[in-house]
Amino acid sequence: MNIIETQSLTKTFGNNGAAVHALRGIDMTVGRGEFVALIGPSGSGKSTLMAILGCLDSPSTGRYFLDGEPVEGLSGPDLARIRNEKIGFVFQNYNLLPKASIVRNVELPLLYAGVSRKERRRRALELLERVGIVEKANVLPAALSGGQRQRVAIARALANDPAVLLADEPTGALDSKTGAEVLDLFAELHSRGNTVVLVTHDAHIASLAQRQVELYDGLIRQAEAA
Amino acid sequence: MLTGAFTERVRSCWVEIRENLGRSVLQTLGVTLGVASVLGGFSISDSQRRHSDEAWARRGGFDKLNVQPAGAVKDGTTPSALQNANLGLRRADAASGKEAGGSIVDAVSVEKFARARIRSSYADQERQITGIGADYLAVNGYEVEQGRALTAEDVAKAAPVCLLGAQAISVFFPTGDAVGQTIRIDDVPVTVVGVLKEMVFHWRASEGNVFAWRNRIVALPATLVAERMQGDPYHRVDRVVFKIPDIDVMEKFSGVLTSTLKTSHRLQDDFRIDDIAARVKKRRSQGAVYNMVFMLAGIVSLIGGGMVNVNIQLATLKERVREVGVKMAIGASGREVFKEFMTEALLLSGFGAVLGFLLGVAFSKTITVVLEVPLYMDPKSFIWAFLLALIFGFLFALYPAVKASRQSPMEALRYE
Repeated sequence: MNIIETQSLTKTFGNNGAAVHALRGIDMTVGRGEFVALIGPSGSGKSTLMAILGCLDSPSTGRYFLDGEPVEGLSGPDLARIRNEKIGFVFQNYNLLPKASIVRNVELPLLYAGVSRKERRRRALELLERVGIVEKANVLPAALSGGQRQRVAIARALANDPAVLLADEPTGALDSKTGAEVLDLFAELHSRGNTVVLVTHDAHIASLAQRQVELYDGLIRQAEAA
Repeated sequence: MLTGAFTERVRSCWVEIRENLGRSVLQTLGVTLGVASVLGGFSISDSQRRHSDEAWARRGGFDKLNVQPAGAVKDGTTPSALQNANLGLRRADAASGKEAGGSIVDAVSVEKFARARIRSSYADQERQITGIGADYLAVNGYEVEQGRALTAEDVAKAAPVCLLGAQAISVFFPTGDAVGQTIRIDDVPVTVVGVLKEMVFHWRASEGNVFAWRNRIVALPATLVAERMQGDPYHRVDRVVFKIPDIDVMEKFSGVLTSTLKTSHRLQDDFRIDDIAARVKKRRSQGAVYNMVFMLAGIVSLIGGGMVNVNIQLATLKERVREVGVKMAIGASGREVFKEFMTEALLLSGFGAVLGFLLGVAFSKTITVVLEVPLYMDPKSFIWAFLLALIFGFLFALYPAVKASRQSPMEALRYE
């Protein structure tokens, strides 16, 4: 079964006079366990598509099934639940909460999911272990390097065992060496069965994915197998 | 609750507050001042009232109805035959009033004032004497220190006995041991049967004893004064006092008493009824007005503080838009965001209230020290002040919290 399936998804910003058609009919599927790179120049609609796939925004028209569940018409609280349970975000600038320790950052999605305190702590430490920075569990994000922060962000994204990991330029703020390490981590997660959608404008990074989806002017230009 | 979401919220709010100490102090300041002003205002007026209640309690309570003689004849008119024949307020009126009131009258007393020459082995003075009924001491808050009080029998028989106040003792028996001694009042030898405890009350600690004159009392049976000292067969008195413990029936009794007395006074209005309880109640309701004013002042400062809070919260919301976006992206619902903002606001209000308590107590203490009145703080004032702080804290946090919770996660994440 497909984790992500969209049918003629469109997104229009603004009103009739000055409308911007960011997406103009996207049909896209991502199967379970796939590693897909979403590429395209800026202004192609990558970020908009990413936001819709991540349930941060709703499409103007079209259908979107996430893990078999139609989500295009859902309201705020339901979308919040879906983001919490089914989606793990990894952002370019990490977006860790600066005033909370690493382990608390990772615990946050579990907290929103209603997991008990003990279980939260156990799972958070386990995830930090998996991304290799469990020894820094109690420090604040500011004390970590960029690569380490991104690992924390990935641990946080994995907290509720999401159906899909959405990574938006996850290496954009990193030097090439640490960037490569982070990408290795994604590759490893993929090999363990996680579904990954990675947004990038870097062809080299995109080539690491199983499959590339290229956006251009709000449409999918081609979908080729790697 | 089970998941510790609340504790977690409080914890992160605490971090937020600690990290932004200056801002948080500003936010609590309005609440602190409001709470202090409500608490201080209430406490000061409570202390004053307590103190004056204390004064009433010392003189036998305010649950009393005084009846005094009044002139029935208008100035410049010739008295009618009826008015001339009328006898005024008499001792018999006390008995008929008690009978009319039945069980609601707890005690009744009469007072007859006269001047007489008093002689003991130590002093010879002309001073006021008071003819009293048996219930007089209780009704007026006197207590016997030595010896005994006057009995109904003493009054009925016009027994030649007397009670002396503390000051009178110091004049007529400066060496003490007055009980059993004889003094001469005019030419009547009278046995001292009791000594009254000194009555002391200071409106302000530095001012004199307002009850000093009460300690000058020389009390005899009213009958003795009428028969032996004044030769008044009608036993006219200067005051009849009814003690009515149930203040609510006071007014009704006052009506009954008026008609009873009028009937026996040949329909003349030659007496005046003074409802002490009504007077005290009226003063109390004026006190309630002061409380309203204090509460209003408190509310005004809470509103002022609240508006500062709204401003600060809206400004910090701008700083925190991104944080809100991140939280939403990882699954916080609008409700959760609302709760987080609300928790912080209420926490600050709570702190503000506690600081306000301290300030309010200090404020009340200072004022009462200046007024030289003992401080009394009603626990209810604390509850009131705290509730007001929370209510206003909640109301003013509502707008920023709703605004934060309605944020689109997409825009919040993009916000720089």
